[in-house]
Amino acid sequence: MTSWVRERLGAAGAPAMLEGGPSFAYVFGSVLVFLLVFEGLTGIALGMFYSPSTTDAWGSVAYLQDQTTWGWLVRGLHHHGGGAIVVVAGLHLVQTAVAGAYKKPRELVWWLGVLLLVLVVVWAVTGYVLRWDQEGYWANRVELGIAAGGPFGAQIQQVALGGNDHGNLSLTRFYGLHALLFPVLVGALGYLHVKVARRHGTTPVRANRTAPRFPDQAVRDAIACAVALAMLMGVVVAREGVELAAPADPSQSYDARPLWYFRWLFELRELAGSAEKLVALAAPAIVGGFLVALPLLDRGPSRRVRARLPWLGGLAGLLALIGALTMMSFARDANDGELAKRQERARAVAARARELAKTHGVPSSGGQDVWLAAPGARGRKVFADNCRGCHEDVERRAPLITAGHGDRAWMRDFLSDPSGDKFWGRTQLVVSQPLAEAWKDSWLEFLAPELSPMPAMNELDPADMDAVVELMYAQTGATDVDAAKRTAGVKVFGAVCSDCHELAFEVVGQGGPNLVGLGSRAYYFDFVGNPKHPLYMGPDRSFMPRFDAELSIEDRAAVADYLVWLRTATPQDLAALDGP
Amino acid sequence: MSDPDRRKFLSIATCAIGGGVGLVSVAPVLRVILDPAGKETVTSPSAPLDLGPAARFVAGEPPRRVEVIAPVVKDAWTAARGVVLGAAWVTRIGPRPGDVDARSAICPHLGCGVGYDPAQNNYLCPCHDSRFALSGDVLSGPSERGLDALPVSVSADGRLLLTWERYKIGQATKERA
Repeated sequence: MTSWVRERLGAAGAPAMLEGGPSFAYVFGSVLVFLLVFEGLTGIALGMFYSPSTTDAWGSVAYLQDQTTWGWLVRGLHHHGGGAIVVVAGLHLVQTAVAGAYKKPRELVWWLGVLLLVLVVVWAVTGYVLRWDQEGYWANRVELGIAAGGPFGAQIQQVALGGNDHGNLSLTRFYGLHALLFPVLVGALGYLHVKVARRHGTTPVRANRTAPRFPDQAVRDAIACAVALAMLMGVVVAREGVELAAPADPSQSYDARPLWYFRWLFELRELAGSAEKLVALAAPAIVGGFLVALPLLDRGPSRRVRARLPWLGGLAGLLALIGALTMMSFARDANDGELAKRQERARAVAARARELAKTHGVPSSGGQDVWLAAPGARGRKVFADNCRGCHEDVERRAPLITAGHGDRAWMRDFLSDPSGDKFWGRTQLVVSQPLAEAWKDSWLEFLAPELSPMPAMNELDPADMDAVVELMYAQTGATDVDAAKRTAGVKVFGAVCSDCHELAFEVVGQGGPNLVGLGSRAYYFDFVGNPKHPLYMGPDRSFMPRFDAELSIEDRAAVADYLVWLRTATPQDLAALDGP
Repeated sequence: MSDPDRRKFLSIATCAIGGGVGLVSVAPVLRVILDPAGKETVTSPSAPLDLGPAARFVAGEPPRRVEVIAPVVKDAWTAARGVVLGAAWVTRIGPRPGDVDARSAICPHLGCGVGYDPAQNNYLCPCHDSRFALSGDVLSGPSERGLDALPVSVSADGRLLLTWERYKIGQATKERA
């Protein structure tokens, strides 16, 4: 069968031969080609979901990660596949160096290889930012900050970013670099690298032996590819793919860490102290310079390891240093208890953000607004900015407004003790009571009723209490109203409440607020807009300011939505809304 | 094992291992690419949408074009607000508040947007010149069926509520898409 294929491919005739025979030492190049093609395949799949804009990038990745079958797997394979390329490229480099294959006349192959290694690593950097989560965003800021310190740094930074700051153009650019330019560039240079290497042939491992590339070497290559794929799959499954942090948020601090193959540089910066900028640029230059110079320095004809010990020792020393620095960096993080706590919190924030994206979708304003997608969340934000000080904080001066506000239990508690601490207890209505009492028998008596809070309804018959609670609860627009009780409540209302309150549209009560639609969205919207309206608290009984000018219509509607949401919310729901 | 036999075995082994590697590499990629097939990635609201007071549609007046705007549409990862889903042509056909006829502005022929032609007081699709009477019936042109009526109702406070639906195009029978 293989001969049939070979004939059709036009490869019939003398098979390509391998000087010195096959060896597992030669597999790394083939594995690299396989991994690059694999990155291309998985990249195509990712590209069919990814949207390179600041508003959509994180959402599209979160969608792929959490709402598709195997999306997490392909993303994980693509991410860790990049790491695998760096590992295998390193092995390839070491094998080549040990074999002395950089020597004349193969210098060009070696230099192309070194260039490809640099390109592959930069390629990974252009991909890391695309997810536009905290991790990728901050890492990219740092990386570009380092690049800006080098020659033509400012220009490089501006071109890479597409202007002066991270934005839509940055993402389209990095996407273009990552998915269009680098594949072509690495593909072309890689082709050249392989082509020139094939012309020179291998540096034979054994003398006086030759074998056809196919199948003798090919079977070893295939086995190596299978092993690489199996190991990659193992890593991805064990690590459950690759993390996706919370959406990029320039206002939040974040412990950004670079990709693991930059950890040695990261550690070096830590150690360098004030010289970090110089070190961050100089160290890669030294490593790269040594690799480029190696064929020029080690010019002797011998490929024997023993004859080249100083040069191989230098390479081994550099690699050992890089390895040690990498381990030191991970050890430093592992021993930092505070960092572990922050990372734990960051993971919780990420999990919450992704849960919100999954259940409610990402608002079109962008990933950083995913927090506003949950019911009540927009209003919670407005409430926190404008209302919480008076209505929720420990130091509040107004009725407490929290989970369960406006439900049956709340209505009952309120009716039982309207002057309680949770209700009017801290407001001027109650605080100024002694004054009102004192005025009762003076010439100021006419002012006293204005300041009287609502009396407690403790003496109500339990059935009547139930009925009036149901009537008030019905005002909220809740759907689970007991109609019979509500009807009974109308009678009780007429007997007990209607001296002060009204239950007819637009009729001002005699001393108390109109209660039609109490606790409904419309009621809250109007009340918050102007609590001093005669329909509500009246001009003298409340310190609460008007919010109809203070808040936009949207914000006021959001607060109204939030207050309605509170009725059925639990303290846990509220805590969840505030996030980890 | 003789050398040719060994080579033959190695050839088969190479192809088998290579094929296996290829399959394992391609399978997850294909699975993910095919993921959206059969999924409702863009949700349309099933609840009726408020088109404003029903009284603004007056008998005898030319049909009004009403944009159908969904409060929230989930589009893959995005929850977009105020999304224009399409348009409907609305006419009053009787005295009661609910006597209102709404036709989807999507041409049942091939899905272009149907406009109103004031000169002839009927609907005209600009793509292939299908004409429809105000009742929605086909007058001329390639469309195989009349303009699709959309379900409408009137709320207690007199607002016209329309349920947005899409129908399959290019066929004689009206069938939900």
